[in-house]
Amino acid sequence: MLPDFSYIQPETVKEAVDALTDDAVVCAGGSDLLGCMREGIITPARVVSLEALDQLKGITKTPEGGLAIGAMTTIADIAKNPLVNSMYPGLAQGARQVASPQLRNQGTIGGNLCQKPRCWYYRGEFDCLRKGGKLCYARRGQHQFHAIFGHDNLCYITHPSDTAPPLVSLNARVLVKGPEKNRTIPVAQLHVAPSFNPRAETVLEPKEIITRVVLPPVSENLKSSYRKVRARRAWDFALAGVALALEMDGDTVLDARVVLSGAAPIPWRSSAVEKTIIGHQLNRQTIAAAAAAVTKNAEPLEKNTYKTYLFEGMIEEELARFTPRDQE
Amino acid sequence: MAEQKNSYYTQGLSVPETPAPGEEPAFWKQTHVVGKRLPRVDAYERVSGAAVYPSDITLPNMIYGAVLRCPHPHANVTKVDVSRAKKMPGVRAVITGQTPEAKKLKWKYNDYSGPLFDTHCRFEGEAVAAVAADTHFQAWDAVRAIDVAYEVLPFVADHNKALSDDAPDIHDSGNLVGTDEYERGDVARGFDAADVVLEQEYHTQSELHTPMELHGCVAGWDKDRLTLWESTQGVYAVQSEIAEILNLPLSKVRVIGHYMGGGFGSKLKPGKYTVLAALLARQSGRPVKLILTREETYLCTGNRPASTMHLKAGVKKDGTLTACDFTCTGPSGAYPAGGTALVDWQIRDLYACDNVRCASKDVYINAGPARPFRAPGHPQASWALEQMMDDLADKIGMDPVALRLKNIPEISQGRNQPYTTTGLKQCIEKGAEQFGWKKAVERAKAHNQTDTHIKRGVGMGACVWFVGGGGPPSTVIIKLFRDGSVNLNMGASDIGTGTKTVMAMVAAEELGVAPEVIQIEHADTETTQYATPSGGSKTVPTESPTVRNAAIAVKRQLLEMASEDLNVPASDLDYEGAQIISRNDKNKRIKVTDVSRLKKRGVVVGVGYRGPNPPKKSVNPFAAQFCELAVNTKTGEMQILRFLSANDSGRVLDRLTYDNQVFGGIVMGIGFGMTEFRQLDARQTGRLCNRNWHDYKLPTALDVPVDMESLPIEIDDPEANNTGTKGLGEPVTIPTAAAIANALFMATGIRFTRAPVNPIEMRRHLTAKKEG
Ligand SMILES: Cc1cc2nc3c(=O)[nH]c(=O)nc-3n(C[C@H](O)[C@H](O)[C@H](O)COP(=O)(O)OP(=O)(O)OC[C@H]3O[C@@H](n4cnc5c(N)ncnc54)[C@H](O)[C@@H]3O)c2cc1C
Ligand code: SF4
Repeated sequence: MLPDFSYIQPETVKEAVDALTDDAVVCAGGSDLLGCMREGIITPARVVSLEALDQLKGITKTPEGGLAIGAMTTIADIAKNPLVNSMYPGLAQGARQVASPQLRNQGTIGGNLCQKPRCWYYRGEFDCLRKGGKLCYARRGQHQFHAIFGHDNLCYITHPSDTAPPLVSLNARVLVKGPEKNRTIPVAQLHVAPSFNPRAETVLEPKEIITRVVLPPVSENLKSSYRKVRARRAWDFALAGVALALEMDGDTVLDARVVLSGAAPIPWRSSAVEKTIIGHQLNRQTIAAAAAAVTKNAEPLEKNTYKTYLFEGMIEEELARFTPRDQE
Repeated sequence: MAEQKNSYYTQGLSVPETPAPGEEPAFWKQTHVVGKRLPRVDAYERVSGAAVYPSDITLPNMIYGAVLRCPHPHANVTKVDVSRAKKMPGVRAVITGQTPEAKKLKWKYNDYSGPLFDTHCRFEGEAVAAVAADTHFQAWDAVRAIDVAYEVLPFVADHNKALSDDAPDIHDSGNLVGTDEYERGDVARGFDAADVVLEQEYHTQSELHTPMELHGCVAGWDKDRLTLWESTQGVYAVQSEIAEILNLPLSKVRVIGHYMGGGFGSKLKPGKYTVLAALLARQSGRPVKLILTREETYLCTGNRPASTMHLKAGVKKDGTLTACDFTCTGPSGAYPAGGTALVDWQIRDLYACDNVRCASKDVYINAGPARPFRAPGHPQASWALEQMMDDLADKIGMDPVALRLKNIPEISQGRNQPYTTTGLKQCIEKGAEQFGWKKAVERAKAHNQTDTHIKRGVGMGACVWFVGGGGPPSTVIIKLFRDGSVNLNMGASDIGTGTKTVMAMVAAEELGVAPEVIQIEHADTETTQYATPSGGSKTVPTESPTVRNAAIAVKRQLLEMASEDLNVPASDLDYEGAQIISRNDKNKRIKVTDVSRLKKRGVVVGVGYRGPNPPKKSVNPFAAQFCELAVNTKTGEMQILRFLSANDSGRVLDRLTYDNQVFGGIVMGIGFGMTEFRQLDARQTGRLCNRNWHDYKLPTALDVPVDMESLPIEIDDPEANNTGTKGLGEPVTIPTAAAIANALFMATGIRFTRAPVNPIEMRRHLTAKKEG
């Protein structure tokens, strides 16, 4: 049951930002927000809809040769956009694996990056640490879906977004508009580790909104992908996922950004994997080393150790897709 | 004009012979409507949204109910203060255990009876108070304004710990609901005679029914008469329970349930919510709509209980089963509710075995009480038995299909009497043939030899369903109007299975009319006839013979009437197409719609009753299912590639609705085997973790194969009943999960004894196998 709130639909970005009083919240597609309000996780007095802001919708080329994606662009539009598919296949694949067709039609990229976690204690009637309580229920409880990295022994959510890992791997940034100033934040620095603040998911100030996601130009050698393993084959978040952005010279990896989903409270950059493959030929040995490296420093809980092996298997399979056939 | 519109015999079909009064109808040899693919008679209503479900009902002045529920798995309510709630805007009724109307009322679980509002709350979601207000929102605001205090008690959520010394007593009598034991032959001697003896522990999880339509009703009073629009599998079952609880004559409780969005066993009876809605409606003097939220249904409208099973089985080298020893512990939940009901039936009855022992223990835990769930108990034991059969086959070097065929029983061993028919052998044999079992096994094994981490497996399982023969009582009325159109009146609910459609087909077959001119009235205790709830796969074998009898009653009366027009005795008359003719003088004939008395009276009313089942025989459906799948041994992902289900459920009435049951059963079985589980926070709070459709994982379209095949094994069963039908809705989901587990074994060499096998479980075992 939704609580009482007022609803406004501003027509300019400035009006929207001005409308964001302390007890207000931004609504994009509403697909996550309404659920949170129904569960009493967010109880705003005012809901500021970005629906009417056409200037925040759509995908355009930037002067530098990258792409700018308006925050109100739907996940479905990103998934099918030809430029995204040709330049950033990793992002297109991530978008295609979000939720369900209905949710992809409704959900926006801005909302996807700012969505709340899916921990079932958080979503249920548990007054847990992230909701202002004292205790993380997942730690001792049912945490088979929870994080094995970066939880800081505080909060064990996995960041739910399937678009954030490819965006991080592709060096994307978000443009943010606030009441006083605008700023640009790399997506890699958008999300917040529990030790920094276990109650926040992003570094955004309450009155800031994301207006655009900007992707840098890509070189011809860049190969990107996103792979996701889930408990059922659709309409489900990642048990484990990996976004790869590899600069390749033939079969040699010049540079790599490897970002895991289903792993940590934030999109989790695996520098261990990156280190094992950068400067190496992507052959069986390298891949085996990379797979072994991925779970270095993992801190699984009792019921999610399977994730370490899952990440190993997935990295192995996914990297192998980038080896020329005759190498096999 | 009237002539052209005449709908009687428009198809010019030949009509089955009319049995003389007192004689039983002959078995249909050739049918003209029955067995065809007929789209649902109410497809338009369902697809267009015109169909009115109880959740769609709105009545003038209707208000909304909401229930305050205990948030703890085990607690004593020490205070309920509704004074603030009562003063809230829009609130018109508030009920607690102290409300005079509610105070004396009892609520029953099987043979247990307790107060409607028990201050001792034994499960999360137990009702503590209820309110009704002008809007949904006001009702929930008022619920939140009720001031309740609880004394929180220790709980037990794990059925395997329920009987341990440190578990808190949920009832004064302790935590044992009951035990059930069965024995035939001499198990010890059976094991001595075996060449191979294996034993294994198996676990299955608790599954939630999750029908599309939520549980609930609209209740309204007209002076002393209560009308309920309830989402139910049986309007008469709701009528009798509510009348008993509220101490009303049956005639004063009308229950209407024309459309309902699924129940799977959880809507065989009314809920506490039904009583609460009636009480709120009485207190407020308004109709009250009380539809639960998804979360509430997950907490308190039933589940398939979890199970911990142990099975020991012996086999000779030639494949003869010599002994089975089976135990099971399962939880009823917080009240007696059949925690291990029927769980051993597969073991007792499916395969020939002289020495069988079964023992089960039903225990209390602090969680919502179970309710029957599509084939209660059966998929659980099938999970154990069918995997054991494959292991035995493996140990003696026999093909799994061959081992099962070696052990086809001649009679129902569980009941020690013959079946009317058994298609177990044909289901396995023909199913294997159609599936291409041998080739598929060879293919999968060859594939698994190659250097790939995507492994393949095929697996199978068979089953018998405990009942499925239907039986009395049932009454059906068929009215034939003077233009030949027909009204069919029955109390049975169409729970989405196509009951209305198949009954129209049976009437059409017997009367020779087009199914489209048959109008069905059903599921209303005031205007339709008594029927037991639709469950147990018994609606078709119960109602279709009754429909046939009603149609025959119409036909007999028409012959009597025609005998006056034709001046010959009725015994000399029968039907030929659209006409009634004399057997001795073919010139004496009359069109049915010309029969004078029909024209004058306007209608013929035929009443049909369900006759008895054959004495000392068992009427049971059988099935065998086969599947092929692939496993990614790096990630633990699985994909089911195809499924085949061979079913002996007697005569097929509508091939479309038949196949629908088969496909739906497989989908549900995939959920049981691979995706669904109720997760309690057993180690901390005892509360339910997964309350929504993301966390409670039903299989999606991508989790089920496109390639599903339904293979009906039709065996004439004239003894079962006059339509030769047996139940279908439950056998279709019994061996599914076990067949998957067997295929997973072929793919990975791992025995998955714990359901469900999702990628988490798969990945855990892949690692354990590598390390172990
Ligand atoms: C059942 C289910 C399954 C799902 N599965 C997946 C999945 O598999 N993978 C996945 O990635 N996601 C999944 N999602 C999440 C879904 O993708 C998000 O709900 C969606 O992308 C959010 O977009 P929205 O426009 O609807 O955001 P809203 O619901 O409107 O907003 C979400 C949050 O972001 C904030 N917000 C929105 N826009 C902005 C902005 N421009 N600037 C600042 N803050 C903003 C809102 O205040 C709110 O807190 C699932 C959701 C559901 C309900
Ligand atoms: S993992 Fe985080 S969100 Fe979940 S219970 Fe722990 S603190 Fe709360």
